[in-house]
Amino acid sequence: MTTTVVQTTQVYQVFIKASAEQIWDAITRPEWTARYFHGAHITVTPDHYDSRSADGDVWGDSAVEVFDPPRKLVHGWRSLYDPEMASEDESRVTWEIDEDENGVCLLTVTHDRLEGAPKTAAGVSGAGWTGVISNLKTLLETGEPMH
Amino acid sequence: MRRVTDDDHVFKALADPTRRHLLDRLFEQDGRTLTELESELEMTRFGVMKHLRVLEDAGLVVTRRQGREKHHFLNPVPIRLIHDRWIDKYAERQVSALSELKTRLEGRR
Repeated sequence: MTTTVVQTTQVYQVFIKASAEQIWDAITRPEWTARYFHGAHITVTPDHYDSRSADGDVWGDSAVEVFDPPRKLVHGWRSLYDPEMASEDESRVTWEIDEDENGVCLLTVTHDRLEGAPKTAAGVSGAGWTGVISNLKTLLETGEPMH
Repeated sequence: MRRVTDDDHVFKALADPTRRHLLDRLFEQDGRTLTELESELEMTRFGVMKHLRVLEDAGLVVTRRQGREKHHFLNPVPIRLIHDRWIDKYAERQVSALSELKTRLEGRR
């Protein structure tokens, strides 16, 4: 196993055959997020990001920095679903949606300010964001999540 | 905006040892500059740039400019999608063939 250095910025990108509005809804409304985001019920309002388990446990509770539907969303990130990660510094997640003329969007997710959250950085990297984002694509393009 | 990535681009990008090496280097330490990546390879700067461009066109590398420097980030999503589309599919058939065999063998008892 190769040793990996803690990453302070992670960037993920995917093309999705859906409108920017559909993608925006899928990342800000709980009835959508519950289907591809580890079952998390996420509600994003212009000033607050709230993530809960199906049982109502708080998984995420952060301020929203930028709320510009359906183009850009920036919010804080704390992994409250894990006690060790929950004690780390807050990091930041940026969602950018660029739609082209053919109804295809490029979704870019950047998770940064991870300097004070090494466990969170390791937890969300690799299968974490990659799984969530590929699931989101599959859900929007086929109507069903992959996993 | 980059054109829509298809599987061909990803397979072609992965079908080269130098490009796979570059992805492994970014996996170990993400966000590296061309100069950092170049220092580990016995190849001209232009050669490395060309390989990075192929990886970028396939969506496997995303670049971000920070001041005067361009940083390269590994984007594993296209590999995951290929996994979901190709590997899962064939692995599933093997698993179901095995479970069918198990059912048949156990049915004989």
